[in-house]
Amino acid sequence: MISALVNDYDEDGWRKCNVTGLDVHRSVENYVKLFGVTAVVALVVGGVFAFTVALTRWEIIGLLGEEAFYRHLSMHAWNLLIFWMVFMEIAILYVGGPMVLGRKLPLKKLAGAGFALMAAGAVIINYAIWTTSQPQEAPLLTAYAPLEISATFYGGGIVFLLGATVAALPFFAAVYLHYKDTTGSLPLVTFGAFATAIIAVQAIVGGLVVFSYAFLWRIDVIGSIDAALYRQLFWIIGHGSQQINLAAMVTVWYFLTHVVGGAEVFSEKVSRTAFVLYVFFINLGAAHHLLSDPVVSAEWRIFNASYAFYGAAFASMIHAFAIPAGLEAGRRKRGLGGGLFGWLTNGPWKNPVFSATIFSIILFGFLGGITGVVMGQLQTNMSWVRTLATVGHFHGTVAVGTTLTFMALVYFVIRVMFLKQLAFPRLASFQPYFYAGAMGVATILLMYAGILFGIPRRVDEVVWNIPGSDWSMLAAAPLITIFGVFAVLAILAGVIFAVVAVVSVFLGKDIEEGGNADLVPDGGYGVGADMEDGDPVHKYDVRGTFAITLIFLATFVAVYVLNWYVLTQLWQIGP
Amino acid sequence: MSSPLKPPEGNWWDVPVDRRESIYLGLAGIWSLLIFGWMSIFTRIGDQNPIGDTYRVSPEEFSENLSEYRENAGETEDGVLIPDGEDVYIAAAQFAWQGTPVQLETGKTYKIHLSSLDVQHGFSIRPEGNLTRQVNLLALPGYEWVIEMEFDEADTYHVICNEFCGVGHSSMHGTIEVVEG
Ligand code: HEM
Ligand SMILES: [Cu+2]
Ligand SMILES: [Cu+2]
Repeated sequence: MISALVNDYDEDGWRKCNVTGLDVHRSVENYVKLFGVTAVVALVVGGVFAFTVALTRWEIIGLLGEEAFYRHLSMHAWNLLIFWMVFMEIAILYVGGPMVLGRKLPLKKLAGAGFALMAAGAVIINYAIWTTSQPQEAPLLTAYAPLEISATFYGGGIVFLLGATVAALPFFAAVYLHYKDTTGSLPLVTFGAFATAIIAVQAIVGGLVVFSYAFLWRIDVIGSIDAALYRQLFWIIGHGSQQINLAAMVTVWYFLTHVVGGAEVFSEKVSRTAFVLYVFFINLGAAHHLLSDPVVSAEWRIFNASYAFYGAAFASMIHAFAIPAGLEAGRRKRGLGGGLFGWLTNGPWKNPVFSATIFSIILFGFLGGITGVVMGQLQTNMSWVRTLATVGHFHGTVAVGTTLTFMALVYFVIRVMFLKQLAFPRLASFQPYFYAGAMGVATILLMYAGILFGIPRRVDEVVWNIPGSDWSMLAAAPLITIFGVFAVLAILAGVIFAVVAVVSVFLGKDIEEGGNADLVPDGGYGVGADMEDGDPVHKYDVRGTFAITLIFLATFVAVYVLNWYVLTQLWQIGP
Repeated sequence: MSSPLKPPEGNWWDVPVDRRESIYLGLAGIWSLLIFGWMSIFTRIGDQNPIGDTYRVSPEEFSENLSEYRENAGETEDGVLIPDGEDVYIAAAQFAWQGTPVQLETGKTYKIHLSSLDVQHGFSIRPEGNLTRQVNLLALPGYEWVIEMEFDEADTYHVICNEFCGVGHSSMHGTIEVVEG
């Protein structure tokens, strides 16, 4: 344990990382570890509630009663979607900022204060949720006013968001200091982290406003709260925080495919343009959560939900090409694999950092990305929203996509910053396959349950029984049963991750000098070392990427058409 | 090409974009415009759009309107409302769909006045015979949403609530009987 905190730094606290080639300062590394470990704690807590929630929705088992179910679902949502992700994201900012720029962590005290506030906010929220009792209601993720939700909960939200803001300041300071000292552009990873941080600020402002509004209402400073206004404000943070997840994840994709796969930047111009599009357009998308709502005008819903003419969706489609292309070109250049897909099939598939990253990229695109655009259309939204299909969509984005990427990053940090070997190496190699497979199937089943059977989200029973009614949605019973099995498998894969991570950090064997050579594609010293040859991109043929992205577009079109077909089978709705 | 961990060197902006990447980006761009255009056009030519007028209304007012509508409505032997005219009022309230059960006819355009008397509720409706035909709208307190519907098949349509509205939410169920018109 103690040895985990004392890497071999020189007397000024620096060491050279033999995997990334970066000069790493102790101050940065320690905070990355602190935020990372806390994130894993939140993952474990949220994962426990994934188990109880899934075993309740598997109604034959029906683990929890109604009241407990909402409480557990709230714990699941807040610990996974918010605490697991945001603690990781601060760690990512510190890696992408000061670490990549080769600086100390500036404003160290603020990093500590930010951490303390975030941790306090997380504890308050967990406490508020867990102690909910009638007539107060559990918040779930959205805490929609005017439900009677405890003021403590909203207060905790404010504390947490303030903490996240403070914790982000050292990142901004590092970028500022970099510009003071040098002129040139930021490295792409820092640029992506910077875009992430800007998006985060936009989102957090909205979050502070909405939780303050609700808090003031709950403590009777203001007499009433407008449900429509709450929804609009809430989704600035509700949506915005998901875009933080997205931008952070994409940044980590560039980082990890480079370090463990040998990827290079295929086109600085294209990738940076995509990040800029994110900054401008992505938070506009908040109204896609209001598509089947009254109040907001159709024009505004269409304009806004299409991310201002799909500016942001297009940006994601850009990364969808740029990242695999970077990997393909980088590996072809190193002579790692020929043919159409040899560069991919020859990859270090036993390394969980690599496999988890690749699965995340593929599954995020095919499961989360496509469905996000489809359910984000004004009309098709009516068949997705508030059904299990929505839950399927966002488990495709955050539970398969982002969570797998962040798992990859945790494995990476264990080996490269904690300098520990992964415990149970075979199990660790297998874990991304198991999790991606089980969670991928569970996600697709949720989508089917929503679209084909209209099974609602956020209820403890509906398929076998609707309390007080002799009708129920029994036709979906087989599907829900299969879902239950895959959900349990996915949770098991999550348990394996947690065990490997915790045992490695606290009981793992130290990595000897040179013991990380297997992590980098050349087996040599630092991927960065021999690459600055400025080869033009067209020297390397990216036909494999081209084929994959064409399959992606074709799938997109097919899913889109199918969804519109289902929609137009409905009776007439609207003018 | 370069490392994402190092500042790009030289004039990276003017490095030409790969041909395959350009083709893909063109396709993705066209696709983005197409789906935006389709969504927009469908609001004019399509039969399924979540579009209707919204009015501010207090829960008390909406309750009154609902009572008035009930008084004018007829009733079947089983106590199912038969609206008098094209207006149909449905109020979501913890934990019931007030104004249901109601009997409607196929081929007739109704104006559904949807609101909530307390918290947010999800108006989720499907015919018994085909669960895939389902649609989800929102009932908001303080707002009345008037949305048109014309049913094409006679069946019992089930309304459930799919926005969390408090403990009791999962029991919130109502029916709309659609008969041949
Ligand atoms: C083993 C993995 C997981 C399983 C089996 C699982 C299962 C579920 C199920 C069945 C629901 C829907 C309950 C309902 O609406 O009635 C749900 C909701 C949710 N899950 Fe997961 N989940 C898992 C992992 C995750 C992860 C990793 C995240 C985020 C990073 C996440 C975020 C959420 C959120 C935000 C909700 C919505 C809560 C709400 O309605 O307020 N889940 N999960
Ligand atoms: Cu969103
Ligand atoms: Cu409800």
